[in-house]
Amino acid sequence: MLRLENIKYSRNSKEIIKGVTINFEDNKITSIIGSNGVGKSTLAYIIMGLSDYKPNDGKIYLDDKDITDFSITERARLGISLLWQEPARFEGLTVKDYLSLGGKIKLDVIKDALNLVRLNPDVYLSRYVDKKLSGGERKRVEIASCILLKPKFLIMDEPDSGIDLMSLDMIVDIMKYLKDNGTGVIVITHREEIATHSDYSYLICDGKVLKSGVCSDIIDYYRSTCDLCDNVNAPKENLI
Amino acid sequence: MIDIVKAYEDEFNKLVELYEKNTNDNSLKNKGVASIIVSGNKVVGLNTLKGIDVKSKTRGDGVVIIDVDIQDNTVIPIPVHLCTGFLEKKGEQLLQFNYNIGANVKVRFKSHCILTKIEKLHHKMISQMYIGKNSFVTYEDEHFHDENGGIFVETITYAKLDKNAFFQSKFYATKTRIGRINVVMDFDLDDYAKADLESKIYGKKDDKIDIQEILRLNGQYSSGIAKSSIFATDSTEANVINEAYGNGAYSKGHIECNEVVKGSNVLVSTVPILKVVNEKSELTHEASVGRIRQDQLDILMSKGLDEEEAVNIIVNGLIS
Ligand SMILES: Nc1ncnc2c1ncn2[C@@H]1O[C@H](COP(=O)(O)OP(=O)(O)OP(=O)(O)O)[C@@H](O)[C@H]1O
Ligand SMILES: [Mg+2]
Repeated sequence: MLRLENIKYSRNSKEIIKGVTINFEDNKITSIIGSNGVGKSTLAYIIMGLSDYKPNDGKIYLDDKDITDFSITERARLGISLLWQEPARFEGLTVKDYLSLGGKIKLDVIKDALNLVRLNPDVYLSRYVDKKLSGGERKRVEIASCILLKPKFLIMDEPDSGIDLMSLDMIVDIMKYLKDNGTGVIVITHREEIATHSDYSYLICDGKVLKSGVCSDIIDYYRSTCDLCDNVNAPKENLI
Repeated sequence: MIDIVKAYEDEFNKLVELYEKNTNDNSLKNKGVASIIVSGNKVVGLNTLKGIDVKSKTRGDGVVIIDVDIQDNTVIPIPVHLCTGFLEKKGEQLLQFNYNIGANVKVRFKSHCILTKIEKLHHKMISQMYIGKNSFVTYEDEHFHDENGGIFVETITYAKLDKNAFFQSKFYATKTRIGRINVVMDFDLDDYAKADLESKIYGKKDDKIDIQEILRLNGQYSSGIAKSSIFATDSTEANVINEAYGNGAYSKGHIECNEVVKGSNVLVSTVPILKVVNEKSELTHEASVGRIRQDQLDILMSKGLDEEEAVNIIVNGLIS
């Protein structure tokens, strides 16, 4: 289990995360939904341990181990990884090199991962992970890389962004594939088609968990309540 | 049989072991591979093949002089291995190589300087090279140091390429910390001769890097490329001077310097000097200074690499 316990985080003396407690279960798909700017990506960076995202308060546990002070590398080595919303580009590194970063991986396994993200290995293995890949191609390569890492928990920050609508089913298939292969998926999304496949959902507003439950209930609530609320990031007290 | 100087067998073995550990290559014990192995200020191992003659002596002032003569028409399929090492903690290592390479020769040199576990060392290697007509020579030089930076390396090469000779040099010091380094490559090219010089250096902490590459394109249709790539971190200082002189008609030169910096205390400069003496000569230059981005480091670290491994991958890509 990956546990966030009363996490608070401020930036430029503005509080962005205001006390979040969530238990992410092993081998489950957990979705995080909420309007723009409520702190979803911030939460992802806090879990991954980016240097500018050390919480001011609260603890993070992985299977009862306190990892609050662990570096990105240490967390990654314990099995936490992140699918970045907009993955960085690298000059002089081929897709094959990039997908082999996690260690010695058989070529066949790399090819299988590319096939899962619907990139033809014959075409893409020798391409570079640089600016010449399109946004969607780069994102697919990144998804393949995350699959090959076989993480214990993978945070997917808007996995569908940059991916064409026709391929949303691919993202869903991959989340299921990850779950079936021992990964707990934490998916941040604005898309109902994706959230609906999660086992449990959290609705975030104004740096807090506004509501949690099975996905259909949370989406219904979000639709009925948040749509009407003109206080994005400042929910009326009686809603909480 | 490989000629291992009996009195120095121990040093030979120690160096070979270090070499194999650093390079994963076991050709120093292979008698089909020509090799010259220097430890401190003496030659401790030597293996020559038909067409190559090597003589060495240590001068009274401690300079090791090594004459390498290669006869006309000699073709050596496997690279000649040069390995220099220093097994003491402190001192000075002064080497002078005189290469006399005949006409129509084809030879590759692979040089490794293994200077690990050293506190303070001045390592100076002067190479004077004559390359005969139509010969093809490549020279790869790689340095392995360790992280304490107490080494001052000077590698100075003067080469004269006769008509239609080809020379390619690669100088790499990217795997470990360099310390202080001064590289000079001064090349003189006759008609139709061609030189291709490349150096790649990784600077850390307070390393200081000076590179000067000079192409004297004297002959008609001579051509050359001098390319330096520097990766400077922490408070590294790097100064690169690339020079090309277009003296011969239709000579062509290109000089290039790419620097990647990380950290705000880095001091780098690059100065190109191009002199077109013959109006039919053509010279170009290119320079860039790039920076490593935090999001690149983060993404690699989120795959389990540590910062240093991540930096290496980014740099190797950038300066490949
Ligand atoms: N580097 C930064 N400096 C200052 N404020 C920031 C910074 N990054 C994010 N914020 C602010 O923190 C808040 C949360 O941002 P975050 O990116 O976590 O939102 P999000 O929920 O992921 O939104 P979206 O759905 O648009 O991706 C926003 O108000 C944003 O403006
Ligand atoms: Mg976001």
